[in-house]
Amino acid sequence: MPTMKHRIQRIAMRVLMLVFLSLLGGLLTATLVRFAPGYGVDERELDSRLSQASVESIRKANQARSGILSYYAHFLARAGHGDLGNSQWLDRPIASLIQERFPVTLRSVLFGTLLAWLVALAASVAAASFQSFALEISGTLLSGALIALPTAVVAMFAVYLGAPVCVAIAVVLFPKLFRYLRNLLAHANAQPYVLAAEARGIRRTRILSHHLFPFLSPALFALLGVSLSMAFGAAIPMEALCDSPGIGQLAWQAALNRDLPLIITLTFLVTLVTVGANLLSTTGDRRAI
Amino acid sequence: MKPARMLRLASTGFLCAIFLAGLFAGGITHYSYATQFRELPNAAPSASHFFGTDGLGRDLFARVIYGTRVSLLLAPAAALLSTLIAGVLGAFAGLAGGWCEKAVLAAADLGMALPLLFVLLALRAFLPLDLDPILSVVATFVLLGFLGWPSSLRVVWAASRDLRNSEFILLAKATGCPPLRILLRHILPNLRPVLFAQFWIAIPVYVLTEATLSMLGLGVMEPLPSWGNLLRGLEDFSVVSANPWRTCPLILLILVVISFQLILPRQEEIA
Repeated sequence: MPTMKHRIQRIAMRVLMLVFLSLLGGLLTATLVRFAPGYGVDERELDSRLSQASVESIRKANQARSGILSYYAHFLARAGHGDLGNSQWLDRPIASLIQERFPVTLRSVLFGTLLAWLVALAASVAAASFQSFALEISGTLLSGALIALPTAVVAMFAVYLGAPVCVAIAVVLFPKLFRYLRNLLAHANAQPYVLAAEARGIRRTRILSHHLFPFLSPALFALLGVSLSMAFGAAIPMEALCDSPGIGQLAWQAALNRDLPLIITLTFLVTLVTVGANLLSTTGDRRAI
Repeated sequence: MKPARMLRLASTGFLCAIFLAGLFAGGITHYSYATQFRELPNAAPSASHFFGTDGLGRDLFARVIYGTRVSLLLAPAAALLSTLIAGVLGAFAGLAGGWCEKAVLAAADLGMALPLLFVLLALRAFLPLDLDPILSVVATFVLLGFLGWPSSLRVVWAASRDLRNSEFILLAKATGCPPLRILLRHILPNLRPVLFAQFWIAIPVYVLTEATLSMLGLGVMEPLPSWGNLLRGLEDFSVVSANPWRTCPLILLILVVISFQLILPRQEEIA
């Protein structure tokens, strides 16, 4: 078993990794925004009331931040104060747009992920425990049919049926989670100590809680992080087609309106959240640290 | 013959038939995908229009067949691109070890943490919205190919790392075999099944992603058909309920992806 000092070191390493990825992602974001079409165009230059000297001074101020590193330093300083720039399309601060819309997406993603996990776990445990052919076939057919549907089509059915976004996200996640969990449980069920526990007449619930889930915990925690990333990806078509005012819909509208600073900042934010969730999911596993 | 093998054979036959239909679309239908029959919008299936027509009076069968050409020829091309990137980087990481391995794996981890659709939207937003239809097809599938490598890389890396420590490679090194010969004659032939499986796994993923992107209006541009932009016709429930034959592209897409799912376990087994 790892010592407490060793665990603290591993957690610190993961936090450092998150900080490093944030800075790297920030640099990438700043680079993309800096090279986005239309960057550096200042509408004030077109104001006929300004003198030539004023226009020159505006140009000089813009040129001073034209280098990537100086732009990035300026970007970081502003981000440190909660200023993520302005949306070109909506002409509003990006930070306030995120503040408005992120909770909507977070709620849909968390409830959708939770629902998908509950159903997939229950179905895969039932399939592994009862080892019924009917259960196995129906699970395989259902997951096979659902996995063949594009996310946008699931969103469209959600609109037809009036289902909430979180249920549609759960429908997208369920087949992938079910297949993975079913295979994991089948593999774990074949372990000699599980067979020995069964042979000794230990109850199934105890085998699950004391033998199977501890054995599977690293894979389950990793899958939790991946499922959050998948859920955020699914949120775009879901929110766009179901007219849910979250960041998925905002990203889609930003792409259609070519609002690059907004969409790049949103991508960076979602990446940070998923990287953070991945780090947390591995930190949550005692054996991984 | 076992039922699983029969299903696999049926799926392979179905995929081959669809693939050939897409390839020889011009010989199967004499209508162009863009020809409009203005007097026949939303027409029911008939002898002259097998799947009926869409809201603009275009023959749906011709659009589905030409859409098959776009989706089923370019998804494998994108899968080939991502498998090549994964193969080169994964083999390099697995064989080189040390800091190179760590750097490549960190890049793959970061790539896997990126939500693919967000990144695709961001990169697609860099291109003009009124992109030429042919360019929009190429851009969509090139982006998919360039962004889809991280998950395959992990598998290739694991396989090449095992090879690095295998006895026959150690023996080849001990007998003074040059590194290039080791790579070409010993490692690549052993990685081939893994790469082949990754290629097959990526195809349905890209078909589905293109469908979602096109449904959002950011994939293949009209009038060029793809399975994704054909599905946009399903957005209006009243139109679909009045013209149920409009679901033909969706049914075809589902059948194709299920066929891929049925032949995938065999590929994974071989790998």
